[in-house]
Amino acid sequence: MGKFGKEFAKGLIISNPVFVLALGLCPVLAISTSIDNALGMTLAVLIVLLGANVIISLIRRFVPSITRIPIFIVIIATLVTVVNLIFHARFPDLYESLGIFLPLVVVNCIILGRAEAFASKNPILNSIADALGITVGFMLALLIISFLRQILGTGNLAVFGIHFFDLPVLKEHPIVIFILPPGAFLLIGLIMALFRRTGVMKE
Amino acid sequence: MSEFATIFIGMVLINNFILMRFLGLCPFFGVSKKIGSAVSMGVAVTFVMTIASIATWLIHNHILVPFDIEYMDIVIYILVIATLVQVIEIFIKKTNANLYFAFGIYLPLITTNCAVLGITLINATEGYSFTGSIVAALGGGLGFTLVLAMMSGIREKLELANTPKSMRGLPIAFITATLLGLAFQGFGGML
Amino acid sequence: MQAKDFLKKAFPVILLTAVVAISVTALTYTDRMTRGEIEAQKEVQTESMLSEMFPEMSRYEFRDDIYTIYSDGDEIGYAFIAVGKGYGGGIDILVGLEDETTLKDITIISQKETPGLGTRIAEPSFTDMFSGLNIADVALRQDGGQVDAITSSTVSSAAVVDAVRTTAMEKVKLIKASEEGG
Repeated sequence: MGKFGKEFAKGLIISNPVFVLALGLCPVLAISTSIDNALGMTLAVLIVLLGANVIISLIRRFVPSITRIPIFIVIIATLVTVVNLIFHARFPDLYESLGIFLPLVVVNCIILGRAEAFASKNPILNSIADALGITVGFMLALLIISFLRQILGTGNLAVFGIHFFDLPVLKEHPIVIFILPPGAFLLIGLIMALFRRTGVMKE
Repeated sequence: MSEFATIFIGMVLINNFILMRFLGLCPFFGVSKKIGSAVSMGVAVTFVMTIASIATWLIHNHILVPFDIEYMDIVIYILVIATLVQVIEIFIKKTNANLYFAFGIYLPLITTNCAVLGITLINATEGYSFTGSIVAALGGGLGFTLVLAMMSGIREKLELANTPKSMRGLPIAFITATLLGLAFQGFGGML
Repeated sequence: MQAKDFLKKAFPVILLTAVVAISVTALTYTDRMTRGEIEAQKEVQTESMLSEMFPEMSRYEFRDDIYTIYSDGDEIGYAFIAVGKGYGGGIDILVGLEDETTLKDITIISQKETPGLGTRIAEPSFTDMFSGLNIADVALRQDGGQVDAITSSTVSSAAVVDAVRTTAMEKVKLIKASEEGG
């Protein structure tokens, strides 16, 4: 459990993809307008990252250096296309909402980065742990931002149609900026500063 | 003609790639510390975006759609982009070693720039004509370069300012982007 | 010796080709699996939009890009898709006709206009203006028509108006022609 747990935990905090490594920012900022989106995107990233890490870890001894990157790219692109098609068929609302950022998972630095930096050099169990840890770290970051943006920007807390509650003041007068693009930048900047200030994450 | 103007202005100002669409953020925070490198990066990305748009438009309309294999788009587009960047990298290495060195790791990273794959996907989804795609790519790239240049100018000044410790580097850059974004929101009602 | 060397050198390419082949197979398989559902979704969407626009609709027929709406055997209208050229790209509009000169209603199916401004073309305050309008009157008020543009979103408003009018005139010609042809 030791090594597995360690790799998993790394992805959560020390190597948190969003707040520490600043990877994969494009989807995080664009998607985080609702918690539904956040969860949907996490699912997509989980499937692709896990799949890619596993496959690449499995074939790592056979892949010659020269064709390494193109092969990784094809594997990741295939996984992303599969997820794209499945979401289109099974989760149409999510598909519409995520829009262009679903196919863009292919160039999400997190995925290619982990494949290159980790899965191609580590055995399969560690690679799985890494994928899970990174995804959870990603999910946490995404949920924090989406939660804040949804609550502050629309005043209600609803997930997949299940209505939890409305905040009285905010429902009438939502702070619209948080739903708009600049609001995303604002939140992530403040959160990063907060993380640094409280020493949770280093430079 | 006015259709192209609308596409162009839309891409540069109103639906700016970085500030509104969130495409092309990685280099935005990595490279934008000096105006010179920011503009070079912007030009390089615009170039790749435009050539990639042309190549993928042709592939989409003459191969993918007629043969009903549109689902191959993601795989093919990214391979085209990767190849393109590789070719450009070799070309720059041979002709201008200084430039190659200056770009460093950011040149191959253009492959994973959301803006490049993004514009190819946007062209396909919107169904732009051949010229329309080129206009869109140029506009998108210009908008990207514009914001990158502005950002780097501001950051150059910020380096000298007395920023609170936890804000230094990325956090303050994000706050700056917020303000830039708010300013650009004003373009929304332009036309 | 020769063969072994060749194999060693060619291996990267062989592997890459193999990977691409596997990828194409996997994708084609997934596409075949999901295509049915994706097409079915479009059907359901279309039907629900049409019945919202024509509450008395009992069925519809689709031919030559025109929907003919029936209510128990009577033709009660037509519908078709118009595409406007807005800021954020194409604006898909479902246009309903009561008859060959009057609009029933319009529904904005999809658009990517500026949030808070251009996106208001989807609001009833804008689309209601089209109900009952004569096709010839589908123009912005500033151009002599009956539709008020949304403030600061002239491009979005004009895109919708132009697309609706032009496509409506086109489709009416087709409808008339097919009626004459029997």
